[in-house]
Amino acid sequence: MEYSLYDFRDASLNIQIAIVFIVVAVTCTIIAYLSILTGRYKAYRREKKLARLHPVIDELLMEHILLNDELTSDIPADQVQLPIEVFQQPVFGKKWARQALINRLIHYRNNVRGSMGEQLRNLYIQLELDKDSLKKMKSRKWDLKVQALAELTSMNMSIADVTILPLTNSRNRELRAAARHAYIKLSKNEPFKFFDVVTEPLLMWDQVELFRIISTTEHIAIPNFAQWITYSTNKSIVSFCLKLVVHYNQISAVPAVIKLLDTKDHYLRADAINCLGKMKIEEVEEKLIHIFNSQPQNCRVEILKALGRINSGKYVDFLRQEFLHSTDFEIRKHAAKSLIRNQWAAKGMIDELIETATAENKLILKHSMNPLIKF
Amino acid sequence: MDLFRNFYEGFIFVYGCTMLFMYALLAVLSLRGIIKFQRKNSYVDYNRMLQSPLAPGISIIAPAYNEGVTIISNVRSLLTLNYPRFEVIIVNDGSTDDTLAKLTREFQLVQVEFAYNERIKSQPVRRVFKSTNTAYDKLMVIDKVNGKSKADASNAGINAASYHYFLCTDVDCIIEKDTLLRMIKPFMDEEHNKIKEVGDPCPECGYIHVVEDSVRVIATGATLRIANSCEIDEGVITRVRPPEKWLPRFQEMEYLRAYVLGKMGWSVINCVPNVSGGLGLFDKEIAIKAGGYDSKSFAEDMDIVTRMCTYMIDNKLKYAIRYIPTTQCWTEGPPTMKVFSRQRTRWGRGLAEIITIHRKVIFNPRYRQLGMVVLPYNLFFEFLAPIIEFTGIIYYIYQIVTGNINWHNAIILLIFVYVYSVMITTLAILWDQKTYHYYKTWREVVGLALMAFLEPFVYHPLIVFFALRGYFNFMTGKKHTWGNMQRQGFGRKKPANT
Amino acid sequence: MSNKILLVEDDEIMPKIMERILHKEEYKIEHVTNGKEAFQRLEDTDYGYDLVITDIMMPYANGFEILSKIKNRKDGKPIPVIIVSNAGNEEMILEGFKLGADDFLKKPVIPGELLIRVKRLLMQYSR
Repeated sequence: MEYSLYDFRDASLNIQIAIVFIVVAVTCTIIAYLSILTGRYKAYRREKKLARLHPVIDELLMEHILLNDELTSDIPADQVQLPIEVFQQPVFGKKWARQALINRLIHYRNNVRGSMGEQLRNLYIQLELDKDSLKKMKSRKWDLKVQALAELTSMNMSIADVTILPLTNSRNRELRAAARHAYIKLSKNEPFKFFDVVTEPLLMWDQVELFRIISTTEHIAIPNFAQWITYSTNKSIVSFCLKLVVHYNQISAVPAVIKLLDTKDHYLRADAINCLGKMKIEEVEEKLIHIFNSQPQNCRVEILKALGRINSGKYVDFLRQEFLHSTDFEIRKHAAKSLIRNQWAAKGMIDELIETATAENKLILKHSMNPLIKF
Repeated sequence: MDLFRNFYEGFIFVYGCTMLFMYALLAVLSLRGIIKFQRKNSYVDYNRMLQSPLAPGISIIAPAYNEGVTIISNVRSLLTLNYPRFEVIIVNDGSTDDTLAKLTREFQLVQVEFAYNERIKSQPVRRVFKSTNTAYDKLMVIDKVNGKSKADASNAGINAASYHYFLCTDVDCIIEKDTLLRMIKPFMDEEHNKIKEVGDPCPECGYIHVVEDSVRVIATGATLRIANSCEIDEGVITRVRPPEKWLPRFQEMEYLRAYVLGKMGWSVINCVPNVSGGLGLFDKEIAIKAGGYDSKSFAEDMDIVTRMCTYMIDNKLKYAIRYIPTTQCWTEGPPTMKVFSRQRTRWGRGLAEIITIHRKVIFNPRYRQLGMVVLPYNLFFEFLAPIIEFTGIIYYIYQIVTGNINWHNAIILLIFVYVYSVMITTLAILWDQKTYHYYKTWREVVGLALMAFLEPFVYHPLIVFFALRGYFNFMTGKKHTWGNMQRQGFGRKKPANT
Repeated sequence: MSNKILLVEDDEIMPKIMERILHKEEYKIEHVTNGKEAFQRLEDTDYGYDLVITDIMMPYANGFEILSKIKNRKDGKPIPVIIVSNAGNEEMILEGFKLGADDFLKKPVIPGELLIRVKRLLMQYSR
């Protein structure tokens, strides 16, 4: 040992570096092997434990909660006293088992709703599993908070505004999103309040989640989205509200959407046109045609699509014009598609077009008329 | 002579250390990326997308050339992916077998008059087919004249695609069911269509000009693995196993290193060099504007990514390429030395080609990370590495012959490089284990990890040799004589050799 | 008389619940977890089921294919099909009905509702 240490000091720099790294690399490799093995062993143990526990949970749930005829009575579901003593097994004193139970309950609630869904929620409360979730809410780790929020949301538990509102503007994106979802779903009075204050963009992924929550939550008060369409400075909120307007067919918001046609943002404008088309607002057609020529391509396509959706039959000549004279393939295709949708008002015209059109235009028409082709 | 010797040895040492440092850096970055991904993933419910009307549409493009034997089950497996809005476009690239006939029969196809808009040039499309059965209305089959390359077929598919995103894959790749859900998420995690107003209102139209101001995700990739020894039943993987044969097994190890450690690490600093041709999700608009795939390229997948990046930078747009560490695709690795050598020679040639075509971008600060990190890294540590290694060996031999060698030091240096490479590979396997336990038993994992000890003696020299042969072919401009057979070989899915 | 129902579903919870509920009503219920098994079972029994409940997204073949196969048979007695799925945007619901689905329920379902729909369809088709 002494000899080699002497040797080491004497060696040139690159040899010294090499020797140091040999030691480092060998150590790392050994550690890596050990981690692989311990990681797998732990996972194996966990799976085995869960595989044993899940049937127990399922059996208890089925026998005593979901298919328990004694529980179906006239009392409102949330006041029924469940036979929770069957869950008083030593295993459910352990944290991992309680977590597994929570996950399983959520899994069940993703499959059933109605009175069974309510009973699952009851069980969650009566077994005081909500305390577990709330404890996680207090944790410092953001991922535990998110997990807790997800649990509370899917169990439809109310959370105090003071706890949750600060989180809706958290610096951590995931936490912020989870908090917003929870707020929309759980807030008793004004679920859409955060639309007023939110400054960060609402990402597409969040919109999917929010949309689902809004459209599946029962007893949610749907506000007039026109207020945000008109006043919000956050474009992603506006664009999201447009989608909600379509979903709820909110005619009262239409004037606000029409005003949006004057916005400078061509993406937002396209969204507005799309919304008007999907709602089949006939009165707006004239304006759309009026602005058509000053629009960029994406808005033009949307206008053509809207004319097809509104399907009033009034503007077939305009569509014919665009179909014949536009130089852009996409424009011609969408004009043709909308023309076909307005077919009832343009029967002779389409036959005539097919006969006289160029080979490519004829192909476009045939394409648009084929029910097998969707786009 | 001594001066040269000192200089050369010093250079090699510094070069080697930089390379090893890069690997270590990538390993650390990738670990961070994976941990972050795992944390987020633990509570993301991808199924939420399934009911959503907001899910963006995806066109899956899979070229097929003489795949008659497996085509039906492979198309079926593509059609049963979990996603609410997608279409499957099979591009029959002038097959000479019964591929098209089989498809027509099984899926009740009829020819339709399809308004095909050729935005990217490709060999002519002869016919387009759709199914008369509504259950298969997601399927479209394009029959085109053989273009002797996957790139050409993919281009035809892109032209016919109707959604904003396209997934580029191969019919013989087996894709995990939740792939689309997982791969579209990075696109949806950036703000879309954000604009910025610049300057005064335009005197003509009264509008203030606006420019794009959002980071646009232009491509997403995921890990690929070798399917050779997996149990597969009608296009569905029922049991994952590391390949039993040595050659594919080495490749599996190499893929894990390249994807889990390499690309995942690069994606953390937004420097992904390449999205595999076996599986990649792209933004269609940008891909078309960048000119689509280059049908003459030997590394069309890296080429298109590089061109998409250049396009974005040239137009002052912010972009990102993302990677997800989970394995979403299984592909057959070349089982024999013959096919393998062709594949690697091709990759070598492709790399040389990329470096030459895009040489103006290298070290051009205007191209930010692409010019200063991605391409220089590929130049020095991917392209030059085999050459430098080769000269190193010659030098070693020369030293031994002339008796100048200091055996003691030389052996220490060799051990250093050896244990270091073993460490990097082992770490890659560990990181992979952190994403998901794909293999069932620990024996399989260790069996794979132990290959790292053999790699420097067996597999690595092969790779160096084939790469050099590829460079040689590139320089002499030797024609590739294998035509379609090569395309049909497995020479398309290139993981960057981290 | 006990009616035979085929349940095609790859989630593990749903079948558990449905089996119990439908069992109570003395329906015979058979459960398979993917499209391939479903086709196999249908072939083996010569479509000997009185009702099929299917999910959409499953390995091998999706619910729409199963649906279209059942509805496009030339001979044999017609079989009612209910789709129960956690997927289902507008496009998919319309596609389901276009292919001849008798009902489309999105998860989470109200089990009682499902039961009543099953009963009603069985009545309708037995006439």
